[in-house]
Amino acid sequence: MSRERPGSLEAVREAAELLGYRLVSARRWKRRRPRLRRVRPQSPRRRSRAGYLFVAGYALLLGVVGLWPAGYALNLALTTFDGAFSGVSNFTGSYNQGFLIPAFENVGKFMLIWLTALIVMVIGLSLLMHTLARRVGAAFRFIFYVPAAFAGSASVLLWLFLLQPGLSPWDFVLHALGYKTLGDTLISGNLPVIYALIAFWTGAGSWILVIHGALTNVPEDVLEAAALDGAGPLQTALRIKLPMIKKWVVYMLIVALAGGTQLFAEPQLVSVANLGLVSPVWSPNTLATYLAFQYNNFNYAAAISIDLLVVALVCAGILVFRTRLFKAD
Amino acid sequence: MRPLNISLRFDVSVTPQPWTLASGLRRLVLWAVLAVVAVFFAVPIVWLLLETTRAGQTGPDSQVGAPLAFGSLHQLVQNWQVLFSGLVGQIGTWLANSALYSGSGVLIAVGLGVPAGYGLATFDFFGRRLLLFATMIAMLIPSTALVLPLVLEAHSLGMLSSPLAVILPYGFFPFGVYIAYLYFNTPRVFGLLAAARSDGCNEWQAFRHVALPLSTPILGLVVVLDFIASWTNYFLPWGMYLAFGCAGSAGTTIACQTTRYPVTLGVAQQLMAGAPAPFAIPQPASVTLQSLQMQTNAPASVEALLILVSVAPVIVVLVIAQRWIASGRLQGIFV
Repeated sequence: MSRERPGSLEAVREAAELLGYRLVSARRWKRRRPRLRRVRPQSPRRRSRAGYLFVAGYALLLGVVGLWPAGYALNLALTTFDGAFSGVSNFTGSYNQGFLIPAFENVGKFMLIWLTALIVMVIGLSLLMHTLARRVGAAFRFIFYVPAAFAGSASVLLWLFLLQPGLSPWDFVLHALGYKTLGDTLISGNLPVIYALIAFWTGAGSWILVIHGALTNVPEDVLEAAALDGAGPLQTALRIKLPMIKKWVVYMLIVALAGGTQLFAEPQLVSVANLGLVSPVWSPNTLATYLAFQYNNFNYAAAISIDLLVVALVCAGILVFRTRLFKAD
Repeated sequence: MRPLNISLRFDVSVTPQPWTLASGLRRLVLWAVLAVVAVFFAVPIVWLLLETTRAGQTGPDSQVGAPLAFGSLHQLVQNWQVLFSGLVGQIGTWLANSALYSGSGVLIAVGLGVPAGYGLATFDFFGRRLLLFATMIAMLIPSTALVLPLVLEAHSLGMLSSPLAVILPYGFFPFGVYIAYLYFNTPRVFGLLAAARSDGCNEWQAFRHVALPLSTPILGLVVVLDFIASWTNYFLPWGMYLAFGCAGSAGTTIACQTTRYPVTLGVAQQLMAGAPAPFAIPQPASVTLQSLQMQTNAPASVEALLILVSVAPVIVVLVIAQRWIASGRLQGIFV
């Protein structure tokens, strides 16, 4: 509060600063309206070059393993084998080969199953476990999360054993479906389901942790109020909890969508295991690596990897700029 | 006039609902659903544990019958000896490689990431917001999206067989930077830093003696999450160490780098049955795959033990760090 006489120069300046303005023409303030300029709110951060020293190493790494490879791939995608600029011909060329669309269709089928399973099971299980005692819920969450340790090649090898009639603990299921050999199980119509099973087994636990974390943030008094108003467990779940965790569900779906298009380990390893019966170019990523490493066609491979990178960038951009999940200040 | 404080407090005591048929049924359904799902998640691991104790003579076929049965501890010891005898490859080397790659990656991620998050949170400099948004975008992109570009880059630099080819990407962990940024970006930290500076600390001392001691919880989180992500990574080492040399590429110049493999590649190596199929969508032919064809003649029980050993460090970390991970996931980030 100003101790100055109301109407004095100091009082006006202080009032202006409180409102976020700077008095521009102090000398001529006796004009009817003092000239003010909006100032940016005072940053709590120190304006200092020392900041560069703290971020330098990380920024360098971001350049070397983030921007450089992306730029290099873009460069490859836009040039021919001998380095001449070729416009979009690598993109159209990789499309015209006829393997890219089937690969995206395969991944689309996989994601339809996987995303549905994620929505139904992850949300359903999280809501169910939220009604349990804390320790019991934690034990279940741990069981669901442990398979995350098998991500990558271990889960695929393990599941190949689990899908083999005679060896599998679910032998009776495979038997009921009429599968007698591993080749029967791995028919191409089953592949999206099998990959979705593996991805769900290794990945769902993490998402259950996320959704459970969101549920624990639902204020206790809201739930009490709902209970006092006579809402049963089902109504509370559907009308109170679900709307309050909606943004995390959207987050899960977008991240899972971006990750799903990248499917690599499962189709690559199953293709190796089942040589000659499963396409080595089942997903866009296996197609791109196949082009690069079997045919040395880096330009087509780079074009496909740019396609996939654009999908990932769009998903990440939506999350950063269109949702309020991540704060930047 | 002093404000009048009126505190109203209702104590609502919720007594347990009397048991009804409906509520009983509801609980029954709840537990049945949870039990079924828990079985789905747990059975593969239980099967794996049991399988490691069983004898397997020649191949997976010999295991027909009673898949979920305990063998003997003696057999487990034997399987262990077979595993480390070199039958399925250089498992000891692979484990050491995994430890080296993930460990170095984690060190870089912490050593560069925590200062970077601190810098983004407490300093104002040109390009700060750009770097922050780049970090957020980078952490939300699946790490697989940059693998092929990274491999192509490493190829152009002649670095395909170098350990740095995987260590540097493992050390790039934007999620850790963002976590550190969130952690330091609070008025409480700003106040502490201002106090430290007015007491005569320079910028380094303020970071070293004020910010760093505050940051132990996020240090643990970054270490755990980056370790898990690095150890389980398959695509990147596959591209760096296997794809060019071993997959039979046309212009192969690099020998098969099996001694550079991390353990995820070693596990995958078990499946490498032969040369890849030609570039055409294969038709289901007269050949049917009878059972899993392995590179070596190792029985399923030894392969199961290999899988278990390869993920054991991650499981140990998961058990120790369960609480940290839960809180990290709670931030809403998934790596």
